[in-house]
Amino acid sequence: MGAPGPDGAAGTPPAIEIRGLVKDFAVGLRGLRLRAVDHVSFAVRPGEIFGLLGPNGSGKSTTIKLLLGLLEPTAGGCAIFGVPSGKVEARRDVGYLPEAPNFYRFLSGRELVVFYGRMCGLAGAALRQRVEEVITLVGLAGSADRRVETYSKGMLQRIGLAQALVHDPRLLILDEPTAGVDPVGSAEMAELILALKARGKTVLITSHLLGQIEDLCDRVAILDRGRLVAEGNVSELAGAPGRLSFETDALPSEEIAALRAWLESRGRRLESVAPARRRLEDVFRAHVGRGARSTEEKR
Amino acid sequence: MIYRLKKWLGLLASRRLITVAIVIAGLAATGVILSAIIAPARDSIRARQPALRLDAAGAGQGAALAILGGFRALVADFAWIRMYTIWERRDLPGTEMLLRLVTTIDPRPVYFWLNSARITAYDFPFWRVLAAGGFETVPEDVQRRLSHEQARSALRGLETAMRFHPGSVELWVERANIELNRLGDLNAAAESYRRAWELPGAPHYVARLRAEVLRRAGRRAEALEWLTRLHPTLPPADEGAAADVVLGRIRDLERELGVPKERSYRPPGARE
Amino acid sequence: MWLIAGNTLREAARQRFFQFLLLLAFTLTFGARWLRDFNFGAPELKFLADCGFGAMAFLGAALTIAATAQLFFSEVDNRTALTLLAKPVWRAEFVLGKLLGVAALAAVFCALLTGLLSLVLAWREAELVRLLPDAVAPGGGVSHAMVALGGLMQWLRLLVLAAFTLLVATFAQSQLFSVVTGFLVLVVCHLQHLAQDAYVRAGSAAGLVASALISSVFPDFQVFQIADSLAAADLPATGDVLRVTLYALGYSAAAAGLAVVSFRRREI
Repeated sequence: MGAPGPDGAAGTPPAIEIRGLVKDFAVGLRGLRLRAVDHVSFAVRPGEIFGLLGPNGSGKSTTIKLLLGLLEPTAGGCAIFGVPSGKVEARRDVGYLPEAPNFYRFLSGRELVVFYGRMCGLAGAALRQRVEEVITLVGLAGSADRRVETYSKGMLQRIGLAQALVHDPRLLILDEPTAGVDPVGSAEMAELILALKARGKTVLITSHLLGQIEDLCDRVAILDRGRLVAEGNVSELAGAPGRLSFETDALPSEEIAALRAWLESRGRRLESVAPARRRLEDVFRAHVGRGARSTEEKR
Repeated sequence: MIYRLKKWLGLLASRRLITVAIVIAGLAATGVILSAIIAPARDSIRARQPALRLDAAGAGQGAALAILGGFRALVADFAWIRMYTIWERRDLPGTEMLLRLVTTIDPRPVYFWLNSARITAYDFPFWRVLAAGGFETVPEDVQRRLSHEQARSALRGLETAMRFHPGSVELWVERANIELNRLGDLNAAAESYRRAWELPGAPHYVARLRAEVLRRAGRRAEALEWLTRLHPTLPPADEGAAADVVLGRIRDLERELGVPKERSYRPPGARE
Repeated sequence: MWLIAGNTLREAARQRFFQFLLLLAFTLTFGARWLRDFNFGAPELKFLADCGFGAMAFLGAALTIAATAQLFFSEVDNRTALTLLAKPVWRAEFVLGKLLGVAALAAVFCALLTGLLSLVLAWREAELVRLLPDAVAPGGGVSHAMVALGGLMQWLRLLVLAAFTLLVATFAQSQLFSVVTGFLVLVVCHLQHLAQDAYVRAGSAAGLVASALISSVFPDFQVFQIADSLAAADLPATGDVLRVTLYALGYSAAAAGLAVVSFRRREI
């Protein structure tokens, strides 16, 4: 698995390379097998945000566990920056935020990040400095000394992101990072992910909430029942080639009729005219914004 | 049929079964290596841990519990406390059963054996006489028979105890005491005191007791000889050894036996 | 590994179960003095020691089995193991860290109780010497070296038990199964000497194989009763103590190594 794949630049291995990955789970003692991942192959380039999409049970989390060496593949393999996933070295440059993360509840947020920092080999002043950096980055500076058991779901996701970032990895794997988090929290997570991309990090993100992913990802892969059913740029996959939509100020009906007549005179058709709408998520965020967030943190 | 066979073969080769097989093989290999290391220590530990006497009657569930090893001492302790509660009620069968249970579960403490013998030899006949109508009602020969029965039962218990504690002075002294006080068998008591005295760590009073019992049995010459052999070995500075008392008894016996002055005992260092 | 061990100890020490068992063991050890008014001299000291070591043996075993299974499955069930093993951590480090954490917990438990028992014995011995000068023979009193050795033996026994429970937990699917099997292992290890005897006497080939397998797969917990007296005269030979220590460490290392093998293949 060590050789760079087709998506990697010459001499630079892809951040993630998955080839012919298969994972079967034994069900019961009668030897029945359930195929969770079925011959999946794709690669993630360094510096991009890659979305692994699919409905519940499509094999996203299993693929991630295989990638992190938490499960052994039945066939095929995967590598992180060219290092096979089964090796401990493959995880040196990875930060992982599991779905609905659970942490040692008796530790404070800061103690938790320190613990994971030490697990990654950090120590002394470098550890202290890095812990403060990531706690500030995820916006938990005011709550870092509270016990994790008092954290809300959104705060758990953010402390989870802090532990994933503490050793400054090149690759971040975020499994359903916005599951169960309110729209404000989701938007803040999205901002953080974009900020990380700006710092040159590669991000693999899984979600079944397509709307949230769409704005974030450079490329996506879609899994269904363990199979890869689509892969490509978001614009390629979600765009409608040869078609255009545009938004204007409100127009009176006669001007719309004139526009339709003008288009028809040129052999085109005006398919639909509808009042412009803001996304409900944007409305929610506009009303339930930073003020509410800072109140929650002070609580 | 072939399909089923294949499935079973597949099951046999399943990962979990392979892991279990590796675990058992690994532990068995470890056990073989470590048994060679522990063997000498195990022998000395076993010598200190006499086997449970499960054959003893009446042990019942208590012994089954105690067999769990780590708790035999504690179970015996609690049975002993329970025995005291029953003893206070003068319940002879209950007390006897618990005495047997305690010494069965944990025969290591000499204390259990000694007190079992004392209760059997001194308390049980008393209770039996009371149960039969009291000392004024029960004829003396019956009282004596009951006392002797219980004394012999206590001596049987002490004999068993001696198999576990062959070097215990206390057990031989207790045996002698029961032979002396409950059976009135002076000769047997004299012999038991001698056996006690021959064991390492025996207190000096044991030797003096033997001489006294010999004297009371009419074996004064033997008593005198015993004391004249004993006296030179007694440390003069040790109060417990009571060398002066022993010398005094030698003189008494010499007087009683009419030993001429020139043949009388001369303590070491005494002037001619 | 040490980090995981430290975290395991910290988690365990904060659990009410540990605090409850420690309190119960303290009460038993300390309260044995008032269980009944004995005043019968040296045997009373033996009774106090039996109570202390009995509490240590029974409650220590319960604590070790429950803590090992609980601390292992809490990581797997709460998925904290996912986050941990996604870091550059060997699975062996995880398993050994858990074992060391429980071993440290058992060491704290045994050390606290041994210390308390020593204090209770010293205090009662002084009282008895004052009340009944003849009851405690000179040189027949409490040997605190023996008490300390007894505490060490209890800890070694718990260490082996923790390693075996962890081994079971690495391939068990539920915490309950691990706890029940842990207690079963405890009972088998206490009865193992019977298998030794059966091995010697075995008439049939099947009996020979079965008893040989049991007596080699399971350690003999009787050997830890090397220090079950209070008298200095009964202090075992240093060689015997070393052999028993090596025996415990050998079985613990083997069980831990096999737990690593088993856990390496476990799907998290």
